[in-house]
Amino acid sequence: MVETKLLDAEEYRRLCDYLYRHTGMSFTETRRYFVERRVEERMIATGSSSFASYFSRLRTNMQGELEKLINASTVNETYFYREDHQFACLTANLLQERLRVKLPGETMRIWSAPCSTGEEPYSIAIWLLENWAEVDAHDVEIVGSDIDTNVLEAARAGIFGKRALMRLSPALADKYFTPAGPEHWQIIDELRQSVRFTAANIVERAETRPHGLFDVIFCRNLLIYFDDASRRVAAENLYESLAPGGYICLGHAESMSRISSLFEVCRFADAIVYRRPPEAPHG
Amino acid sequence: MPLIRKESDKAAAGVSRATLPSLGSASVDERWAAARAARDPAAIPSLGEALAHEADTRVREAIFTALAQIATPESALTLLPYLRVDDANTRTGAMDALRAMQDACRPYLPGLLTDTDPDVRLLACDLVREVGGADGPSWLCALIETEPEVNVCAAAVEALGEIADASAERSLSHCAERFPDDPFLGFAIKVIAERLRRLPLAARG
Amino acid sequence: MADRKMRILVVDDANLVRLYYRQILEEADFEVEEALNGLEALERLLVSPADALIVDINMPRMDGVTFLRALRRQALPLSSIPALVTSTESSATDVEAARVAGANFYCAKPIGREDLARIMAMFCGAPQ
Repeated sequence: MVETKLLDAEEYRRLCDYLYRHTGMSFTETRRYFVERRVEERMIATGSSSFASYFSRLRTNMQGELEKLINASTVNETYFYREDHQFACLTANLLQERLRVKLPGETMRIWSAPCSTGEEPYSIAIWLLENWAEVDAHDVEIVGSDIDTNVLEAARAGIFGKRALMRLSPALADKYFTPAGPEHWQIIDELRQSVRFTAANIVERAETRPHGLFDVIFCRNLLIYFDDASRRVAAENLYESLAPGGYICLGHAESMSRISSLFEVCRFADAIVYRRPPEAPHG
Repeated sequence: MPLIRKESDKAAAGVSRATLPSLGSASVDERWAAARAARDPAAIPSLGEALAHEADTRVREAIFTALAQIATPESALTLLPYLRVDDANTRTGAMDALRAMQDACRPYLPGLLTDTDPDVRLLACDLVREVGGADGPSWLCALIETEPEVNVCAAAVEALGEIADASAERSLSHCAERFPDDPFLGFAIKVIAERLRRLPLAARG
Repeated sequence: MADRKMRILVVDDANLVRLYYRQILEEADFEVEEALNGLEALERLLVSPADALIVDINMPRMDGVTFLRALRRQALPLSSIPALVTSTESSATDVEAARVAGANFYCAKPIGREDLARIMAMFCGAPQ
């Protein structure tokens, strides 16, 4: 039976240190309970009788344990309005900042990469329509990209189950979805037609460049899975895909500080985001 | 409906494909593009040359990434001199790149651990921790038996804490005996020895 | 007299160094936060400012000097947080670079226990 106080303070810090160095995920004391529960799951799954033996296993990456722990820690499920504090930041701050430097009539371009089965880019679309007062005054282009063509197919079809909609109010669900069989809903045609989905590997420059420059990029819970060298390349690709002064949002626990020093950190009321500096155009 | 969709967007900004970007160009954008495009081992000499002169931190970062991605012993060799430079930013950039290239820098680690510059030896301990492989613990144990600089010993002890097992204990206590008055080293060795003692016997790091 | 504990952010790549400082400072009744490099430190400070900093020069991603420069460019209160810079090297270039970047104090490693507590108390304006 695994005890509730699984890790002492020092062990917790060492684990966080290890995760940070190897994935860029940043956990602080406030996330202790969450991290301990994930470690507990993995200790049971691997039959580890002590944290020391589990940690050894993690450090040698026995049977891909690092990825398993990352998966457990990112709550891999995708759903509408996930981490919506970043969407709040988008409409409260990021779009306004971008508008200040964009030319009149210039399209606002937003990238969701990876987009998985489409919840994120469609969420952005719904959020903008619902929360951005100026939404009718500007052209907005939303692009969703993923390396996995199967999920892209699903994203284009736009059919979702109950769990995906769990954070949406009934009013929103009614407004933007139509029933598509028992326990399934399809996003309305207008939104399906308004998001463009492309296949792209973020680590491959040849695949990211053709997308042009974006004002805002959402790249959540992807960089943590890469090795150091690939992560650097991906960060540079994302940098190049941002307009100077453009913003990038990572996953909730991720920190660009471990990944790349190309970006500036910006603190807004709703979120910490990163920005390509306005004065340094590169590519 | 303000949400628009463009079927194809070839608006890739940047350098035209007609001319190959040069690492020596006067234009920062061109040097960035050149560094980003350099993926072939044949580019190593130009990358090394560019690194010696590059003042823009972002281009330098891209050059480090290129060398890290190429990840051959030759690309590691190109980075080694940058462990000695005055500028902390460049030193840490070189360290990051060496860490990212994993096996490729391993052949050089024993040499770095016996470098005449204690600061280089210190950085080498951190590299051993990340990319030292199976020999890492024995290299570090050997180091702490004779290393004269207390800060280098401390770095080695820290690294041993991550990669060694209880067999490192003898070397750790020898080291503690050599520096009886240093409070930090004493503290570090005590913590690490205790931690290694608690490791399950089956785990060999 | 402040009601809350003074918060020190320790910025150093080495786990053991951070642990060592933590023990000394917690014993002297400070609250301790940690960061592994300058970028992480900046992020932490943006979320919750500290009363004083201990910053190592040699850290990955963003070294101590670059960090201090970036910190001093921020708005108050971040730009005026007192910072102790530490290094295993004691070259005059490093000390000068640190001073110019905005260090308030420079110490060669390893720092003695009493010195550390005393300097932090001085930075935080606490009675000694």
